[in-house]
Amino acid sequence: MAHADRLEITNNPARVAVTATGMVSPLGFGLAETLESLRSSRDCVTPVMRFSVTQCRCKTAGQVSDLRLLAGQAEIPRSKRLHRASHMMIQALQELVTQQAEFEPELTVIGTTSGGMSYGERYYRSLNGAGDLRHAPTWIANYPAQKPVIDAQTVFGISAPCQVIANACASGTNAIGHAFECVRSGRYKRVLAGGYDALAEMVFVGFDSLQASTPEKCRPFDRHRSGMVLGEGAAVLALENLDLARKRGAPVLAEIIGYGISTDNFHITQPEPSGIGAQQAMERALESADISAADVDYINAHGTATAFNDAAEGKAISALFNGVPVSSTKSMMGHSLGAAGAIEAVVCLLALQHQFLPANINFTTPDDGVDLNIVANEARRAVVNMVLSNSFGFGGTNASIVMRKFPPLPRLPRTGDT
Amino acid sequence: MSLAIAGMGWVTPLGTSIDSVWQRLLQGEEAPATTISEQFADRGYSVFRVPESALRGISHSRLRRASAISRFAAAAGLHALEYAGLKLESQRAERIALIFAVSNGGVTYTKRFYHEIVGSGAQAASPLLFPETVFNAPASHLAAILGVTGATYTLVGDGAVGLAAITMAEELMANETLDYCLVVGTEEIDWLLCDAYRRWRLLRMAPPIEPFSKQNRGMILSEGAGAILLARDGFVTIERAHPGGYFTRRTDAQKTLKGILHDLGQVEIDFAISSANGTFVDQAESQALQEVVSDALVYTGKPALGESVGAAGLWQIILAAQALRSKEIPPVLHANHGVPLRLSLSRTPIASARCAIVLSSGLNQQTAGLRLAIQ
Repeated sequence: MAHADRLEITNNPARVAVTATGMVSPLGFGLAETLESLRSSRDCVTPVMRFSVTQCRCKTAGQVSDLRLLAGQAEIPRSKRLHRASHMMIQALQELVTQQAEFEPELTVIGTTSGGMSYGERYYRSLNGAGDLRHAPTWIANYPAQKPVIDAQTVFGISAPCQVIANACASGTNAIGHAFECVRSGRYKRVLAGGYDALAEMVFVGFDSLQASTPEKCRPFDRHRSGMVLGEGAAVLALENLDLARKRGAPVLAEIIGYGISTDNFHITQPEPSGIGAQQAMERALESADISAADVDYINAHGTATAFNDAAEGKAISALFNGVPVSSTKSMMGHSLGAAGAIEAVVCLLALQHQFLPANINFTTPDDGVDLNIVANEARRAVVNMVLSNSFGFGGTNASIVMRKFPPLPRLPRTGDT
Repeated sequence: MSLAIAGMGWVTPLGTSIDSVWQRLLQGEEAPATTISEQFADRGYSVFRVPESALRGISHSRLRRASAISRFAAAAGLHALEYAGLKLESQRAERIALIFAVSNGGVTYTKRFYHEIVGSGAQAASPLLFPETVFNAPASHLAAILGVTGATYTLVGDGAVGLAAITMAEELMANETLDYCLVVGTEEIDWLLCDAYRRWRLLRMAPPIEPFSKQNRGMILSEGAGAILLARDGFVTIERAHPGGYFTRRTDAQKTLKGILHDLGQVEIDFAISSANGTFVDQAESQALQEVVSDALVYTGKPALGESVGAAGLWQIILAAQALRSKEIPPVLHANHGVPLRLSLSRTPIASARCAIVLSSGLNQQTAGLRLAIQ
């Protein structure tokens, strides 16, 4: 703390602290399990049993156990009616509230892509096949995208208004980025941010129909990559004005110091091949953080393992950064869409706290077209002071955030520094 | 910080020109209802649809395969820019943000896409349809048409999402690198939506929508889009956007709405644009308005235009801005004379009106409000 006490404290713009967080994903229930999975570079992708995938190319996904999810939530009123996305949000928020019971957000910003989609599927299947529609009102009531957010807030007595951002796969990072700007501008003191998404047949088949998902292992940035696998989960972060957080004695887990957003208008499902959209988002995040590319110690890439994304993102990273370690943790847990940016922000936070680089597993052969320093297959110890996390989505939405260890480490000279 | 409205555009079942739709509302017109049906069901539903002629002249390669929700949004957005006389050159493309408000999204293509999976299996799934099912597809199309390269957001919520998008625009415009924010609310109708709302006991099988009736006979769904171009200067100021809140039970909606009205009603309010649509919302809003701003004249456009959910909030703001400019409020259609509110039951002049509240209570627990003023 002695070092932090010497930091200059300014109010304009406000510094933004992360004072608590919680998550559930295929990597584990909570931070401790997630950390263990990341350190051991565990492959958490499993065969899909939730719906039939016999006609799909891809048959696997990163999945959250229903048994475990529901086991801890039996006491919640109407628990059985809630969508599993609500259960995931409740699980994640439970962990955050356990850390910071007194955190009272003035605003909640959450990203998602699918809401309670599987309830919509049940409703449609029952209508179309003359099935049992007795539960239709429950499915309909729990289908809207804001419902899991409201459910989770209600359980913990949080009354903040909710903004639900649906910017496709960039949603989670957009939610954190927007929440960051709301606190930084001084308009809000405390904002709850995050993302969630639960696996749904329609979305699974949709990516399969685009031939974006793979029947093999997910190999981001590998020359032999053949596509993504889907995932699911939820993560939430408590964002606070850093000065006020410290005044009330809240622990500061990390700082968010920059956010960049861009839109490339190339194609509704494909990024601009030169990576210009991704590059702009990263440049804007660095500018917002008032740092240079050389200050970044690790990039948690969007890294879906599709041919197009990884080529474009790889070019963008190569153009801006010189040999910074890069990994896509989607290789371990799949792509959780609207939750991905929030989950990966928590992964970055763990990397900052525990001074290691999470791995990009299933990596065998570098891609000739992309010059990246991949953290291949095994996590490794490293000095990590600043990290950048990318999320890119359908419709050309690109988002990047920059996080910093708190208190920051002294800047050490590196190769290439003069 | 206050923002101002620099441009407006809408696509409604009564037409697309701001002034001509306004004149029709002043004259007490109501959109014609049509019936939509579904191949696997006998029941049809009455809805207010956008006439096909409304989208003539809107063409772009990005809209070729796009669903109605995207085409409505593009038309409304382009009209708002035209209204403001704004041409987006490349330098400006980074200085404008785009925020979309949607509720049900591209439900027609979503249904069609899933129908193929259910009927013929995953191998029948269309890779052309899937991208159009994503919530941010309409925003992506408009961003591409306009060449926007900066911030683009899609907010999802219930009928209050349009006002929530204005709050978000205020938050974005705190950043001085932005000159404009184009906020678009959009929605399309499908039989499936009507059926879902009916099962939820919120839909009426045929018009009229009877606002503020104690019987809560239900709403009629409609479709279209509304767009507001926000700038630092304009003809009507958004003095305050309340971020709103949510209610866990319908009976609690009134309490949340009162909180919003107390916050917004700290100055003299001349009139309020309510979101009353023939459902439980009406009693909640009625009681909150009576208690907090009892002197304000009250108008709801939903009996005339229908409940357009994602587009509704933007339509309400346009109605408020038009009323402030034209110094008149249209008649509330199909309202009972015994309603304990100062309802605008006929075309009402409001010569000295300066300040208005727009109040929105959604059907899925969300609420929001804002205050507009004209100098």
